[in-house]
Amino acid sequence: MERSDTKVLANQPYDESLEVNDSEDIASVYTPTPQTHQRDLRPRSRKGRGVMEANSSSDEFEEEDSPQKRREPISNLAGLGPEQEEEEDEEDSDEEDSDDDDDDEEEGASAPEGAYDPADYHNLPVSTEIKELFQYITRYTPQVVELENKLKPFIPDYIPAVGDIDAFLKVPRPDDKPDDLGLLLLDEPCVKQSDPRVLSLWLSEETKQHHPTEVKKVSSIRSPHQEQKALDSWIESISELHRCKAPASVHYARPMPDVESLMQEWPAEVEELLGRVALPSAELDCDLAQYVDIVCGLLDIPVYKNRIQSLHVLFTLYLEFQNSEHFKAQNHDRLAS
Amino acid sequence: MILSRTKPAVGGDAPIGLNEKKNKSRTKKIPDLEEYLQQRDYLGALTLLEFQRDVGEREEHADLWMGYCAFHLGDHKRAMEVYKTLSEKAECPVEVWVYLACTMFLLGLYKEAEEAASKAPTSPLQNRLLFHLAHKFNDEKKLMGFHQNLEDVTEDQLSLASIHYMRSHYQEAIDIYKRILLQNRDFLALKVYVALCYYKLDYYDVSQEVLAVYLQSIPDSTIALNLKACNHFRLYNGKAAEAELKNLMDISSCSFEFAKELIRHNLVVFRAGEGALQVLPPLIDVIPEARLNLVIYYLRQDDIQEAYNLIKDLVPTTPQEYILKGVVNAALGQEIGSRDHLKIAQQFFQLVGGSASECDTIPGRQCMASCFFLLRQFEDVLIYLNSVKSYFYNDDTFNFNYAQAKAALGNYRDAEEVFLLIQSEKIKNDYVYLSWLARSYIMNQKGRLAWELYLNMGTSSDAFALLQLIANDCYKMGQFFYAAKAFDALEKLDPDSNYWEGKRGACVGIFQLILAGRESREMLKDVLPLLRSSGNPQVEYIIRTLRKWAKENRVALS
Repeated sequence: MERSDTKVLANQPYDESLEVNDSEDIASVYTPTPQTHQRDLRPRSRKGRGVMEANSSSDEFEEEDSPQKRREPISNLAGLGPEQEEEEDEEDSDEEDSDDDDDDEEEGASAPEGAYDPADYHNLPVSTEIKELFQYITRYTPQVVELENKLKPFIPDYIPAVGDIDAFLKVPRPDDKPDDLGLLLLDEPCVKQSDPRVLSLWLSEETKQHHPTEVKKVSSIRSPHQEQKALDSWIESISELHRCKAPASVHYARPMPDVESLMQEWPAEVEELLGRVALPSAELDCDLAQYVDIVCGLLDIPVYKNRIQSLHVLFTLYLEFQNSEHFKAQNHDRLAS
Repeated sequence: MILSRTKPAVGGDAPIGLNEKKNKSRTKKIPDLEEYLQQRDYLGALTLLEFQRDVGEREEHADLWMGYCAFHLGDHKRAMEVYKTLSEKAECPVEVWVYLACTMFLLGLYKEAEEAASKAPTSPLQNRLLFHLAHKFNDEKKLMGFHQNLEDVTEDQLSLASIHYMRSHYQEAIDIYKRILLQNRDFLALKVYVALCYYKLDYYDVSQEVLAVYLQSIPDSTIALNLKACNHFRLYNGKAAEAELKNLMDISSCSFEFAKELIRHNLVVFRAGEGALQVLPPLIDVIPEARLNLVIYYLRQDDIQEAYNLIKDLVPTTPQEYILKGVVNAALGQEIGSRDHLKIAQQFFQLVGGSASECDTIPGRQCMASCFFLLRQFEDVLIYLNSVKSYFYNDDTFNFNYAQAKAALGNYRDAEEVFLLIQSEKIKNDYVYLSWLARSYIMNQKGRLAWELYLNMGTSSDAFALLQLIANDCYKMGQFFYAAKAFDALEKLDPDSNYWEGKRGACVGIFQLILAGRESREMLKDVLPLLRSSGNPQVEYIIRTLRKWAKENRVALS
């Protein structure tokens, strides 16, 4: 019975490729199969087996065909040395099993290797009294304790997300020029995006267009300890912004009077005159350069070749007056009186 | 790292570049919108547009440009608002409707997207959008209709390929990309699409190869670097993958928000679930994998009920989803003893393991093994487990299932060996483990080790059951000493039941073994108290016989 099974299956690819010392082993691959209640599922499991056999054989012969290459992640699933040995081992013991109890194939009832067999002790030279006692051993039939099996499910690995592929459901440029996004390069923003807060500060600085909305964004970093990077980059970008700004102090090429000295009071007669005569206004019929010269002259600011620096002194002086608490108060008193 | 300078970054952030930029920025007047767009610095472009609006200089179609920038920045919500506002104006250009629909689609507002798209004039973009909407609605008929309207132009074909990808038809998608690449060698983005397909097909090496071409020309691409990290995760481990993501995070500016969720999600994955409870719940239904990963997290925490709650309403479409539903049902079914759940689990496992795409993958083999395990067909279980065994040498789960299958088939020698490889304390305290290991010990003539398992257990119903097992299995295997001890213990724990027959047989069995020279004569000493503790009248008779023999053979009994 067993023999004939062997013959039938001897030509399986697996059998051919399996390197074994003993043909018994090949046969044993299929010996433990028959168990009537499993018959209905045979075809499917046989199919599964076929797949793996194909794999293992192609592996062993190292066939280089394309499907093999594609199947790379799994190609060495079967046919590995140790694993095969493993399988042989298993079959070996299975066979030992069947040696012991060829007659009863009933599951559970088959006595495992090394089970107690009263026949082994039959010939002990003992008294009849003891022999009678021995009968107690077989008087008790050990119960078959059914054990439960528990499948510990194979919990899959965590699954990383790679996202979907560009479906070309995208807004084109309003000027209808091609943007090549998704073709020449992926439709994704560059990793270095301008910081809107810094950029808007810079824009208003550069264009001198100060606008009330620009101050709207006061930025804060919630946990500076954890966001070192955010903090550093903010400081860096703001200090760079300041570097790019016009410098706070100007080095004059030629000597200029001190603002403090320019702020000194005029002589009394000039003050008196100013009470009656208005200063020359911008309406004066002269060009801008001449007007600058006149104003600077009036205020004791020297004008050299380049008027810019003189003008700088002029406006510094103006700012100084405007910001001076003393004059503000005076102004206020004058208006009040 | 330098955050946005006065001018958009030109890639590469060496200090020399910084100085150069500084100089440039000094001399430069107002930056040009086009320049920002070329850099794909959409945040910069938007800021510029806003600034111009605020100071009253208006670019032509400023609103449309803002929509465009917000859209490509990935800020679809903002883009939607822009288009919504535009659509409410009287002089709104008609194509705004389809743009609005696109933003809604990307925000997952499919119904609204369809409604908006229906107001737009017919256009290839509108058709592509409706095509994808039909896919989302699972409307095969409409899908075919819009499919037929697709033309043989690049955009339409790429849109079709994207549908193939989403329907897991990766080979079809690759075919389209390769065909287009043949005609347009400079369409480098398509390399990434191909790499994504290969990734999904589990060909991580190939994916990596194709991806490298793109990264060579655009080394700081978020999508590509993320894919690279995922490939590393599959090929190597979480650490290698995390290093890649770290690189990406280092080169990106603080204001960079694109794909931030994806990156956060993947960090959890690469760190083996660390932070899962903080990061994943808000991403459910945003990133499809988030739900699955949270289920995996719960499973690993043994919170099967939570896992089940999360997945019970999911209609599986991908193998991963089928597997996970199978796993959850198997775990729950075994925990609460529900045949229905086990049946579902077995069916899902069979479906995946038997499918053409998965039958030769490790998870596919695991599925078949699980399926047969639930059907108690352990020969088949072993066939499948053996085929992937080399990947799981130290895997407790694998070994637990493997050893059970071995033991169930009577191969106790292997079973014992594999059971002993298991490290997890949880498994080692599981009665299934203890009982099968005890049986394996006994079958391998190591009754003493089985008895020690019992001694380490403490009193419980499991310990009682283990005693029954030891008593009977040892008896069967002729290891009468431990059989007798177990019967004796049972007698004490359960005085109402009758264990006398077993104990009697076992004690006599020890005697027989001594006579046969298989146990030492000294053991007879231990038999007497075992017998005496039973109150049966036969005890005296047996003891008399034993004493007699002892006397004749000069064996001391006390």
